[in-house]
Amino acid sequence: MLKLLSVVTAVIVWGLLSLTLPPEIFPGPIETTRALWAEIAGGQVETDLAMTMLRVVAGLVLALMLGVPVGIVMGLNRRAEAFLDVWVMIGLTVPSLCYAIMAFIWFGLNEGAAIIAIAVTAAPSITINIWEGVKNIDTRLVAMARVFEASRAAIVRRVLLPQILPYVMASARFGLGIIWKITVLVELIGRPNGVGFKLFYWYQLADMRQVLAWTLLFTIIMVLIELLILKPIERRLFAWRPQVAV
Amino acid sequence: MNSVIEVASLRKTFKGRDGTSRAVLTDLNLAVSAGEFLCILGPSGCGKSTLLNVLAGLDNVYDGRVNLNGGRVGYLFQEPRLLPWLTADENLDFALDSCRVPPSRWSDLKSRYLAMTGLSEYRDYYPHQISGGMAQRLALVRSLCVEPGILLMDEPFSGLDEITARRIRSDLLAIWRETRKTIVFVTHNAYEACFLADRILVMSDGAFRQEMRVPIARPRNYDDLAIFEFSRDVIKAFGDEIGNAAVPSVPPVTETSLVDDLDRHAATRMNI
Repeated sequence: MLKLLSVVTAVIVWGLLSLTLPPEIFPGPIETTRALWAEIAGGQVETDLAMTMLRVVAGLVLALMLGVPVGIVMGLNRRAEAFLDVWVMIGLTVPSLCYAIMAFIWFGLNEGAAIIAIAVTAAPSITINIWEGVKNIDTRLVAMARVFEASRAAIVRRVLLPQILPYVMASARFGLGIIWKITVLVELIGRPNGVGFKLFYWYQLADMRQVLAWTLLFTIIMVLIELLILKPIERRLFAWRPQVAV
Repeated sequence: MNSVIEVASLRKTFKGRDGTSRAVLTDLNLAVSAGEFLCILGPSGCGKSTLLNVLAGLDNVYDGRVNLNGGRVGYLFQEPRLLPWLTADENLDFALDSCRVPPSRWSDLKSRYLAMTGLSEYRDYYPHQISGGMAQRLALVRSLCVEPGILLMDEPFSGLDEITARRIRSDLLAIWRETRKTIVFVTHNAYEACFLADRILVMSDGAFRQEMRVPIARPRNYDDLAIFEFSRDVIKAFGDEIGNAAVPSVPPVTETSLVDDLDRHAATRMNI
């Protein structure tokens, strides 16, 4: 209920703010929705949206594949932590635009380069999350499992993984947020389609209705992914957790 | 007499970060016979948990000889250490599975010990949904249902309120009477030791200082005056030992740590 109210308030604030500028510069929610609807009805969005989604998902998978193992190694091993610490900090500091430019120049203007740029940008944040998670592992539970003669494999699977899983989930959500933004940027500079390409196209034509329509479109998609996919997965995985007052 | 636990000349030293080493266990000898209830009584930091970790096989770095031949070793920690993502029932399954108890026996074992501790109704609860006392009782069930011959207990009731702790102590004695497991119970609470044990070993600075047999008949009543009187003797011995041992063990030190040590000893005396 409160969530609905918050969405309604956001739309009203948008509407009021849009009144301060002419509609062709800052269109309100009604005009934007109308423009978006026309685009959808005209069959203009599927290809670009699908391409963006593909890059987001591929980028996320690759970023997790890079970030999770490095985070685990850093959490488990002091030497690895000392050695990789600086790398992670550098990785985090370099702007995503630099990764995108390097990837396109070195690997060519293709999907692979785009996905590599996306993944490399997001991976350090994921690593930091997992690293924290591994350091927070409760070793007293490991001692308990050893007293009960649990095998090494059983300790990893039944005592360690359940403790790391919340951090992997958090990184995936967190990573997704970052990856959307990078993907749009990467599309803007190096791809012939996708939401980012469309945004740049309409920006060059100075058509703010279309720019906001596309922004609205992928905001809605993002929220739907969060509510319909990530939240239910999390609820199922972490049903055991104490309910914090909602 | 047949001993199920035999420890001879056990020594253990911890190396500090600055390279200095500190003896935690100094030349311990110990024999525990089958079915005995032994309490090791000592202040915090005296090495009693370290000894228990060695007995449990959690710590393999030591000098001397340690021999356990009383079957599987169960261990009850100071905290319940339940897996929070598993229900009470699943926590027991985890232990049974880890110890490779045949699945056909799980149901009987669980029902038996859950009933003994009054937890039968709580099988489907997660650890955060039950009280601290119930969680510790569940941990007791977990350590019992894998049918250990030897049960090691590390101040298992010190984190509980007194009323809850009393009830679990009585439960424990009832279970012990029925199953006759060998129990090594570590505590800093002299009254608890007198209520539970056949024999008390007073420990300080990594060595046993005194051995006392508890001359009180079983079944015991927690409010029995005899327990109170005997605990007074134990506390006296306990206090003297700490006082004596403290002098040589405190080398010339800076003022702050001297105060800390004095406080620790004063606190130990008052606590018991």
